[in-house]
Amino acid sequence: MNAYVRRSWVAGMLIASLMLTAIAQASVPADGDAAARPKVAIKAAKIITMDVDDTVINNGVMLIADGKIVAVGKQSKVEIPEGFDVIDHGDGWILPGLVDCHNHIAGSLFDLNDGVYLTNPGLRTVDVVTPRNENLENCLSGGITSVLLIPGSGNNMSGFGTTTKTFGNSTDEMVIKAPGSLKIAQAGNPERYWYRVGRRFMNWNLRQTLEKAKLYHDGWTAYQKGEIPEPPTFDIVWSDFRDLFDGQFPVSVHTQIYQVYMTTITMLRDHFGLDVVTDHSTFDSYKLASLIKERDMYAIVGPRVFHFDRRDRTINGCAARFAEQGIKRLGINTDAPVIPQEDLPYQATMACWYGWNDHYAAIKGITRIPAESLGIIDRVGSLEAGKDADFGLWTGSPIDPRSVCKKTFVDGRIAYDVEVKRRTR
Amino acid sequence: MNQRRLHHFATMTLMLSAAIVAFASVAQAQTVVLENGKIIPVNGEPIEKGSVLIKNGRIEAVGESVDAPFDAKVIDCEGKVIFPGMIDAHTWRGLDVPNESPGVTPFLNVYDAIDPSQLFFEDSLRDGVLSIHVSPGNNTIIDGMTRVVHPIGLTPEQMTTAPDVAMKLSVTPKTGYDRMRQMAEFREAFRKLDEEMGQLAEKKYEDKLREDEKDLSVPPDEAREKGKELIEPKDIPDKNRNLLMLSQGKLRNFIYCGAAMDVPAAIRTAKQFGFLDQSVLVLGSETFKAVDALKEAGRPVVLDGNLVHTEADALTGEEEETFVPKVIDDAGLKFALQRQWGSTLGERYLWYQAARCVREGVSRDHALKSITLWPAEMLGLGDRLGSLEKGKDANVLVLSGDPLDMTTWVELGFVQGEKVYDKAEDIRLNRLFAAPEDELGPSTAPVSEPVEEGHTEVHKGEYQEPKTDQ
Repeated sequence: MNAYVRRSWVAGMLIASLMLTAIAQASVPADGDAAARPKVAIKAAKIITMDVDDTVINNGVMLIADGKIVAVGKQSKVEIPEGFDVIDHGDGWILPGLVDCHNHIAGSLFDLNDGVYLTNPGLRTVDVVTPRNENLENCLSGGITSVLLIPGSGNNMSGFGTTTKTFGNSTDEMVIKAPGSLKIAQAGNPERYWYRVGRRFMNWNLRQTLEKAKLYHDGWTAYQKGEIPEPPTFDIVWSDFRDLFDGQFPVSVHTQIYQVYMTTITMLRDHFGLDVVTDHSTFDSYKLASLIKERDMYAIVGPRVFHFDRRDRTINGCAARFAEQGIKRLGINTDAPVIPQEDLPYQATMACWYGWNDHYAAIKGITRIPAESLGIIDRVGSLEAGKDADFGLWTGSPIDPRSVCKKTFVDGRIAYDVEVKRRTR
Repeated sequence: MNQRRLHHFATMTLMLSAAIVAFASVAQAQTVVLENGKIIPVNGEPIEKGSVLIKNGRIEAVGESVDAPFDAKVIDCEGKVIFPGMIDAHTWRGLDVPNESPGVTPFLNVYDAIDPSQLFFEDSLRDGVLSIHVSPGNNTIIDGMTRVVHPIGLTPEQMTTAPDVAMKLSVTPKTGYDRMRQMAEFREAFRKLDEEMGQLAEKKYEDKLREDEKDLSVPPDEAREKGKELIEPKDIPDKNRNLLMLSQGKLRNFIYCGAAMDVPAAIRTAKQFGFLDQSVLVLGSETFKAVDALKEAGRPVVLDGNLVHTEADALTGEEEETFVPKVIDDAGLKFALQRQWGSTLGERYLWYQAARCVREGVSRDHALKSITLWPAEMLGLGDRLGSLEKGKDANVLVLSGDPLDMTTWVELGFVQGEKVYDKAEDIRLNRLFAAPEDELGPSTAPVSEPVEEGHTEVHKGEYQEPKTDQ
């Protein structure tokens, strides 16, 4: 270890211990305490439920208990039982906790890319989830309650992502699903790999890795069905892929420009039959909307929400272009910290600014759609009885930049309160 | 939306919808008659006034008159010329980079990097180049598989005329290699292939003995020999499959020879490893000096886009120019012309390259074949492309005049019987010709962005990756 490395290591330890102290001093109530998950009834002028019927409840009330939603309905119809504290949110709106399916800040910010190999099966972001880090504290001020924490896009395959809440005292408490996705980056950033690579090599390499994983999966499937007498030799790396090929979680793909986006569809969806979330549906990828539509796939736009087409000299709102070609499963992401996590609603605002005229769909694109695409809609992404009590109390529409999220609840607990500590947003 | 923006938007959607429409309907291609045109079939004498019948994506009949079904769409080609779609025999354009970092990658495939959205394809369509042999570049040793595509479609699948047409090789040293090292890499690759296939054969034979409960003590050489025929296609590892086909003489191959001294090396190597019968030599401009060796090998050649080789005398400084295609043609070799993409001159058009050949004394017949039939034959697609003959793919152009005339434009283009280009609907081209007083004003949009040959970034600046993206 040379002097420089040693010094930076010591400095790192110092910073880390300072951060730990800061976390210990945080003022939010600790978990496990029954009082921390009170029974609450919240009245509000508008509740955007984001349920399958797109129900919007005016003058509604929502009951929560034990971290779950008990009932949602009109104030005139839902009776508030004994023992419920009442919060009157007045003219405000209640929104489901926002969901971002592309996030890097719920971890340590340092452990993003393992740069030795082009494909890194076997790595998992669940190992780096960092409860209550500064970025998460900020993100709660934007009403975001669930994110997909994924590794970076420096490699073609950088590991397994984790769907996690943005609030909680421990990783176990926060995590919704691990693995929550497999992260793949098909081109773009991996082209900066130390060993210069083009798309022919990258796509071949990626396909080889997935073929091996599939071979392993097929072998075990055949064994479990009794088609072969002996099980394949257990392999800790490839066993991670079994749930992927069983459709338990999607691949989230860093894919953006035309050719790369196209390859995502033809290789991952058509060839391997995987559940694909096209995570960077930006640049000129909207020109492939017809392929997305045919396959009923999700298109998640961001972090860039517009594209200037140099050939045709047009400015195109990416979401608007997808929408006008009939894409309904359309969502928005931040790629935080590329766009600050708390600005997820603002991303939707800009998508509308660039021509996406369906503002309700834009709100859906930061709540229900990302939750569906990640397969966590059974717990988050809408306000329905039985689901996690994750929501924000807003002064108005979240995509109106004048609106403020006054309180954010995660699992029925107040995770952010503008009255206690006001953050930038 | 003002007029100008509306127009741009129309351009984009047109290009997009053209691509979509064209391929949504390939399966139900129309029956079309191109009548009253001058037909230049390339493989035979021109017909001054004749018709071409296109049915089910193929050319059904060519002649002074054809039996047209009552429901055929009839297009009057009075004063026009009907000509087969031109063929680009070899280009790395359409890919992201010409070559990958490793030199020996026979398992790679251009399929993985063809970008249908590149303007290159749109330009090719406009210029009448309806078949493009997309191949890895020349900076390599044993590179991967190539593909012949037509320049329209949303995905490489839709664009494919013929997949896995050939393998690309180069005997001219890759950057950082010298000639001895380059050739050593060839030997090593084939030696390794032999060894791995031998081991596989041995294993297969032993497996069989074990299965039959026989004595396993067989000498390795015998096991390798006897195990050979037990190898099934699925046993061959992906990384060896293409190289094995090549060494068995079953795979077409394009070998780059940048200098005259590389020609004998290429021929010797191809002979040694058993694939000369399938070789096409891709030549640098200086290689005409090895014309005797080329003649002896008798293999077809693809010529450099730079048709004139210039060399200064070391003592006097006097420049001597050689028109390469003439030398090659005089040697009786079949050749294909390439487009010179670094050039902003006419050299970026195939017809212009052919016209220059005529100027320098190559016969018109050979000049036309060098951009149509000969490249088709080199690609093993002589029965499908390159001329107007019954049974061939209906890749047909309707030109406003003679293919070698400088005032000629492509008016209509058909790919596999489907109309994929119509000059009247080519908004970008029409915009180029718009009169200055046109309300849209003069064009400020570049028609295309020229890229120098060998440059690693296609459409530099077109796609900016987000710098801070993770």
